[in-house]
Amino acid sequence: MTTSYGVGIGWRPEIAGFVAELPGLRFAEVVAESVHAHGDLPPGLAELIERGVAVVPHGVKLSLGGAEPVEPARVAHLAAVARRVAAPLVSEHIAFVRAGGVEAGHLLPVPRSREAVDAVVANVRRTQAELDVPIALEPIAALFDWPDDELDEGAFLTEILERTDALLLLDVANVYANARNRGTEPVALFDRLPLERVAYVHVAGGAEHDGIYHDTHTDAVPQPVLDLVTALCERHRPPALMLERDGDYPAAPELRGELDAIAAASGYPAVT
Amino acid sequence: MTSLGRRQAELVAALTAGAAVPPGFDGRLVEAARVALLRKRAGEVARQWPELAAAFGRGWPRRWSAWAAARPTRGSLRDGWDLARDLRAAGELPAAASAELAAREALMSYDGSSAPRNRRAPAVRGAAGSLVVQFAGRVRVLRRPAAGPHR
Amino acid sequence: MNLAAQGDTWGITGPSFLILYIVTVVAVAILAAIHRRILFAGDSGAHVERLDPQQVAYLNGGDRLAVYAALGGLRGAEAIDSNPGKTLRQAGPLPAGATALDSAIYNAAGRGIRARDVIGDEWVVAALRQLREALEAQRLAVPPARAKVARLWALAGAALVLLGVARLVDGLQNDKPVLFLIGAIVLAVILSISMLRRSRRRATRVADKGMTALRRKHEYLSPRMSPSYATYGATGAGMGIALFGAASLYTMDPAFASEAEIQRINSSAGAGGSSSSCGGGSSDGGGSSCGGGGSSCGGGGGCGGGGCGG
Repeated sequence: MTTSYGVGIGWRPEIAGFVAELPGLRFAEVVAESVHAHGDLPPGLAELIERGVAVVPHGVKLSLGGAEPVEPARVAHLAAVARRVAAPLVSEHIAFVRAGGVEAGHLLPVPRSREAVDAVVANVRRTQAELDVPIALEPIAALFDWPDDELDEGAFLTEILERTDALLLLDVANVYANARNRGTEPVALFDRLPLERVAYVHVAGGAEHDGIYHDTHTDAVPQPVLDLVTALCERHRPPALMLERDGDYPAAPELRGELDAIAAASGYPAVT
Repeated sequence: MTSLGRRQAELVAALTAGAAVPPGFDGRLVEAARVALLRKRAGEVARQWPELAAAFGRGWPRRWSAWAAARPTRGSLRDGWDLARDLRAAGELPAAASAELAAREALMSYDGSSAPRNRRAPAVRGAAGSLVVQFAGRVRVLRRPAAGPHR
Repeated sequence: MNLAAQGDTWGITGPSFLILYIVTVVAVAILAAIHRRILFAGDSGAHVERLDPQQVAYLNGGDRLAVYAALGGLRGAEAIDSNPGKTLRQAGPLPAGATALDSAIYNAAGRGIRARDVIGDEWVVAALRQLREALEAQRLAVPPARAKVARLWALAGAALVLLGVARLVDGLQNDKPVLFLIGAIVLAVILSISMLRRSRRRATRVADKGMTALRRKHEYLSPRMSPSYATYGATGAGMGIALFGAASLYTMDPAFASEAEIQRINSSAGAGGSSSSCGGGSSDGGGSSCGGGGSSCGGGGGCGGGGCGG
């Protein structure tokens, strides 16, 4: 992605009116499964596209990390939505959401093994075959690790990205959560990743329960995550960063404050 | 199934169906993930079935988790529907939630095993003192029940 | 009783009476429609966009919806709450910029009034009358006097029905064929009822057109978007109720709405339904139309609790 979009936001129907009134917005992400491939777009999204805002479909159900080949219907849907909203790229996760015919209802980590790398790469390639635009892959926050991880996270992700030539959707909240729960330094991961592949960045909030930090996406963005944004931008400023909030939306001034904080941390202009 | 697939299935079963935690995993962390998942589902079902969740008030997450602990998700619409039907069968469905269920059942048909579909024909449903009439996708609730004591 | 008469009932032949009757009924209906168009036109200079939520609510659903919009706004500003006994109570200060209706309801809440009795409280009634008169002055609301004039046409229709019934009775006593006459009477009844219903109009045509535009502009407040009222504030809550009905109050605060015995009026597509637009998709719908996700259809199937996939 060579264009710079600055600060963006995850479009959600619950705050569609709020997003519509952000004067400087040039980037938004929408959950791919909530957009119909044919028929009407959700109210408000069409207006954003008309305004020239770049809308990126974000898949959550493709299960690219699953052992089974990704379902063709889901790939077709993602590709169709990308065309429908004239997206510059799409994104999905390095994770699996179903196995043995049972839906997990949640993004689950894949083992960092060679077998898993092959599975992910195969699924990403199957998806890329149907897409007209690049795909960015997002590493997730996981509360636990597999017992027999062979590679460390940096090497694991880098290998997947290089073998598929995909872009990276770097979620700094996930990086923070993983590091905090394992007692490691979050910034260390940045130096192990091909940052030039970063297409855009997620910034989100979380909360601690019983000594474990959960990346909830329903809480305010904590200062350490904003500090990570600054640290990332010092190394390689990404083309876009977006506030990812999925529920429990606060009053409009507070949301604007979060967007402004991301702008300040990244050095991009405010969009509010 | 490949070994990866088999091991992924074991993990999903442990997280959603009450199966044992596969060997080698940190049991405490997997349990934390399992609980977080149930909490997340409780929120999603509450959005699809607001009266059902509101009827239990603060006890909703606990009530939900007790029912859903060994039932993997089928999507929040179906999950709430299944729970509401089970509660109704046991006579434990609060009145306001009962009206909500009746309204949904008038609007869509759901056989319990495949995705619910919008009804095309008009329908009438009754529940706990209220009567729900559906015609052309619009629902009228007649004779609403008295609101329950739950807050 | 009557001797079996040989001549026509009333001296008019059956067919000619029928033709005259039907023509008269249809003419009355058409004239009524034209008169209504003139009566209810409204002032093209009037602007719906500048109205506050309670005024919009009145135009959309009368006194009751106006009260609900005010309740929603006050609840959103946390100025009032409900008590377990289905009464209202004050829970915070009256927000700045409150209308006369807001103050009236707030004061009534301070007296512990039952929620369903709010609409009858004398200060509330006075505030509602003020609201209505202001809208009538702007030619957005139809004054009751005009609606009454429009109703007179229905009276004319009723008179015609009676005329038809009188002829029917006479015709039966004289053993005349009455099938077509019954059909004509049914037509007159239907048209009279229609004239009566259409004269019960609250908003002028200008106001109606403005409302449609307003609804489209505020689509994000529709219950099927599950709007985050915390984000849109008290005005947003009030406007959502005003435009989309009492169902919005249930979406916003179901506990408060049931305790306050809010009647669901102007509701479409069922309780808490965000599902109708999505064909009720659940998570295993493949990729086709609603790519699966009862929760994500309606957004936010996104990420939470350490990962996504909802």
